Amino acid sequence: MLDPSYIKIQDFSFWYGAKKALHGINMDIPESQITALIGPSGCGKSTLLRNMNRMNDLIDGVRHEGDITLDGTSLYDPTVEVISLRKRVGMVFQKYNPFAKTIYENVVFSLRVAGRNSKKELDETVERSLKGAALWDEVKDRLHESAFSLSGGQMQRLCIARAIANRPQILLMDEPCAALDPIATLKIEELMLKLKEEFTIVIVTHNMQQAMRCSDKTAFFYLGKLIEFNDTKSIFETPKEAQTEEYISGRFS
Amino acid sequence: MPDTPAESQRKPIPERFQVAKATLRFDTFMGYAIQVGGVAIIVAVFGILAFILAQVLPLFGKAEVTERRAVPGETAPSPTATSSPAIGLDEWAELPFSFSGGDAVTFTDLKGERGTFTLPVEIPGEAKISTFAYNPAGNRLEIGTSDGRVGSATISYTAEFTDGIRTIVPTIEVGKFHKVGSERTPVEAIGYGASDSKQLYAALVGGKLHVVTLKEKRGLFGKGKVTKDLELDLSDKLTSPPDRLLVAKDGRGIMAISRKAGSIDYLYLNGGEFTLRQTVHPFADREDTKSIARADFLFGDVSLVTSSTSGALRIFSLFRPEGQSDRIFGQTKAFPDLPSGTTFFVPSLRNKAFLTGTGNTVGLYYATTGAVRWSDDLPFETRSAAIDGKFKTIALADTTGTVHLLNLDDHHPEAGAKAFFGKIWYEGANKPEYTWASTGGSGDFEVKLSMMPLIFGSLKGTIYALLFAIPIALLAAIYTSQFLNWKIKRVIKPTMEIMASLPSVVLGFIGALWLAPVLETKVPSVLLLCLGLPSAAALIGWAWNQLPVEKRCKLKPGYEFLVFVPILIFLAYAFWNLGPVLERICFTVPDPLTGKPISDFRVWWPEVTGTPFEQRNSLVVGFVMGFAVIPIIFTIAEDALSNVPPALIAGSSALGASRWQVVRTVVLPIASAGIFSALMIGFGRAVGETMIMVMATGNTPVMEWNIFNGMRTLAANIAVELPEAPKGSTHFRALFLGALLLFLFTFVLNTLAELLRHRLRERYKLV
Ligand SMILES: Nc1ncnc2c1ncn2[C@@H]1O[C@H](COP(=O)(O)OP(=O)(O)OP(=O)(O)O)[C@@H](O)[C@H]1O
Ligand SMILES: [Mg+2]
Repeated sequence: MLDPSYIKIQDFSFWYGAKKALHGINMDIPESQITALIGPSGCGKSTLLRNMNRMNDLIDGVRHEGDITLDGTSLYDPTVEVISLRKRVGMVFQKYNPFAKTIYENVVFSLRVAGRNSKKELDETVERSLKGAALWDEVKDRLHESAFSLSGGQMQRLCIARAIANRPQILLMDEPCAALDPIATLKIEELMLKLKEEFTIVIVTHNMQQAMRCSDKTAFFYLGKLIEFNDTKSIFETPKEAQTEEYISGRFS
Repeated sequence: MPDTPAESQRKPIPERFQVAKATLRFDTFMGYAIQVGGVAIIVAVFGILAFILAQVLPLFGKAEVTERRAVPGETAPSPTATSSPAIGLDEWAELPFSFSGGDAVTFTDLKGERGTFTLPVEIPGEAKISTFAYNPAGNRLEIGTSDGRVGSATISYTAEFTDGIRTIVPTIEVGKFHKVGSERTPVEAIGYGASDSKQLYAALVGGKLHVVTLKEKRGLFGKGKVTKDLELDLSDKLTSPPDRLLVAKDGRGIMAISRKAGSIDYLYLNGGEFTLRQTVHPFADREDTKSIARADFLFGDVSLVTSSTSGALRIFSLFRPEGQSDRIFGQTKAFPDLPSGTTFFVPSLRNKAFLTGTGNTVGLYYATTGAVRWSDDLPFETRSAAIDGKFKTIALADTTGTVHLLNLDDHHPEAGAKAFFGKIWYEGANKPEYTWASTGGSGDFEVKLSMMPLIFGSLKGTIYALLFAIPIALLAAIYTSQFLNWKIKRVIKPTMEIMASLPSVVLGFIGALWLAPVLETKVPSVLLLCLGLPSAAALIGWAWNQLPVEKRCKLKPGYEFLVFVPILIFLAYAFWNLGPVLERICFTVPDPLTGKPISDFRVWWPEVTGTPFEQRNSLVVGFVMGFAVIPIIFTIAEDALSNVPPALIAGSSALGASRWQVVRTVVLPIASAGIFSALMIGFGRAVGETMIMVMATGNTPVMEWNIFNGMRTLAANIAVELPEAPKGSTHFRALFLGALLLFLFTFVLNTLAELLRHRLRERYKLV
């Protein structure tokens, strides 16, 4: 039986210095499903997402209250090894950020840092990940060129390939399709649907169709607060909150 | 045909699209101002370079000799076997004299109306001059008479002023003559030398070598009576019959030259007795001839300039072979062959130059560098030559007695590429070496201008400083920028920047007066610290990771130092105090003075390695300079590291990289160009650092990597010696050559570094 509260966010508030970015979020993210986070720009979607693998630890002067548990253990338990947590919870960033390395080395980065250097495994991983990210056909002949020789959309897909290379259990995707054309977007959506069997996916998107097409649950945020969280179908067809309805129908002001 | 709208009909551009005149003007102005500033800087840099070059270039010139005038004189007799005619110059080069063994010295007035006149050399008694030797140092004629006596005549010039006009008046003072040998036979060759209290005549009488030493009784009122002290016949000590004699100026060494046999017997007075110390065969290895044409002392009387009858020209100098106590002669220089054996020779009394030649060929040579400063085939045959005391005039007397005065324009005879960069066998040294010794005690001191010890010193100081500074500065920068909690980082960075602004004279002062004496007795402790602390740190790191996570997690990331630092401080204290124990265990040697075992690193080091231990050494320089360099490298490297885009750090962290893996795989490559600049700037600072070097080292220009002695750097050398170097002198210009080397050194290095940095930046540039 799948766990309906695989990731459990309890009364979670978050501050950047003095600025409060999240206000007491409560949310249960189910296992092996796709959860979409939607909401206007600056409402705190990325902030929440980054907290799910403690990416915000890297930022100076942040503070949080409340708790996030993953499979029953708190992320903030001092005994949690952040490094292994991040191996478990992969992430695709809002802004693509390939390393100054070859395409190949970018993809196998997570294996290299884990000390896995067998050529066969690396080659297989590269092909599988790049195919998954719908990039394989475009780069298969230039795997050893610099990642910076790719276009913006290609880099975006490279970052997705990089994130799934080590097969995390949970994949956090922050607007993964923002820089992509409709065909590539569709391929990424196909990928998500395929990965869903294995992974739990949380995706931030500004594309309502995308949320509708591939997510199982949708959360609507506004000004750092969780306004509504429900099955995608219910959110889009029978939103309970007026703000949600206004936002998804584009009448939002 | 379409109408083109007239100028006035064009729609005016709305005001909001127009650019304000002031903005445009300011833009243009700033454009020019920036250009002017940029060009001015380039001009200034090149101006400095041009200035330094102008100071340095004359060092590499040759001597210029031009004809001044020729004065006809009496035909001199051709040189005899044992004495060649002499000419000499006064201080003003106005009244040259010539003497060829007659009973008078001929003077030629070049300025006034006195023309040519003579002054008699009045020898007491009825004898004639049978041989003589002229010694330009002191203007002495050593005279041997036909009745077997020896003595000397001194020519001196005094300037008299009448109505403001200078007249130079020569006088000849003839000293006391002394009998040598028992027969009344003519003296065939003579040599003379004198130290403070003793005079020595060596004379060849009837084929026998007689030596007379004279003692001067010092009375209450200056000079006392001169009495004969020793009289010896040394003929049985010689290996072949001599025909020419030289006596070193200290009156202890006699060179008996046998020209036919091609050998020189070196007799040395030691403990009241002469022994044959060495027989030199200067041309033993020559195929054509082994016989000697001439052999003369160079100024200073420790080098012999010898010429074979076939024209080979070689210098033999006194040196002490390794492991021996007696100084003997060895060949130190060889010059290009002359057409045949030299017929005249005169040393300069200002430096190690000498003038020699044969037939029409004349050459000015510099002994130290082995360089031919000037050489020419003149239209006349030279019989004898003179160089004035100022090294400005050359006088050459030809076969007709005509004296040719030549202007000598050679300001830097001791300079040249060989002098600065080549290995030179200096007088007194036992092998060719690189030496810097620009000023010495006596007038016949040989200046040694090798840049090599200084270049070496600069490199040594820099390398020891960087060896200490780079690891600390870079690790500190990485730690501060990537691992340390941001609140503490905010304090550390400005503190380090303040450290960077510490004046180096203060650091040098602290290094010389406090650190050097402390380190001197604490070398074993320092050794323990240098080895112990890094390994202890690594060990603690390992142990920390072995701790169960529940224990480790009590400290927030970035605050680990709260545990580490106290442990390290304790260990440092422990190591420091364990030093003497280590010294007792490892560094005990028998005291060279008492023979008892002594535990002192200062004794142990020279005893075991054979290299000296000095208080102000490279270790002190390494530490003190390190402190000057660390903040610079730290701040620049830290900036570069902190400027790595957080997105990339986040990206690699999200893929499960540990903090160190993030640093190694992402941060360091991207910051590499900046770190490289930091290292280069640190290097530049270290190479050019002056005050610390002047104060914290002994400033001895040695060429040893030994960490326990000092060095002299190019920069320190300039600071120390420039105030004493007369403007325009060789010494002065040599210091500028040092400056030029420093300039070129940093320039070349920075250019290379810039190229490399550019490549690094290209390689790791970001989108
Ligand atoms: N590093 C930071 N430091 C300070 N404030 C931040 C930081 N990152 C985000 N914020 C603030 O937190 C709030 C939420 O930001 P967040 O990035 O989570 O928004 P978002 O919902 O992802 O918006 P978008 O859809 O535009 O990406 C914003 O008001 C933003 O200004
Ligand atoms: Mg966002």
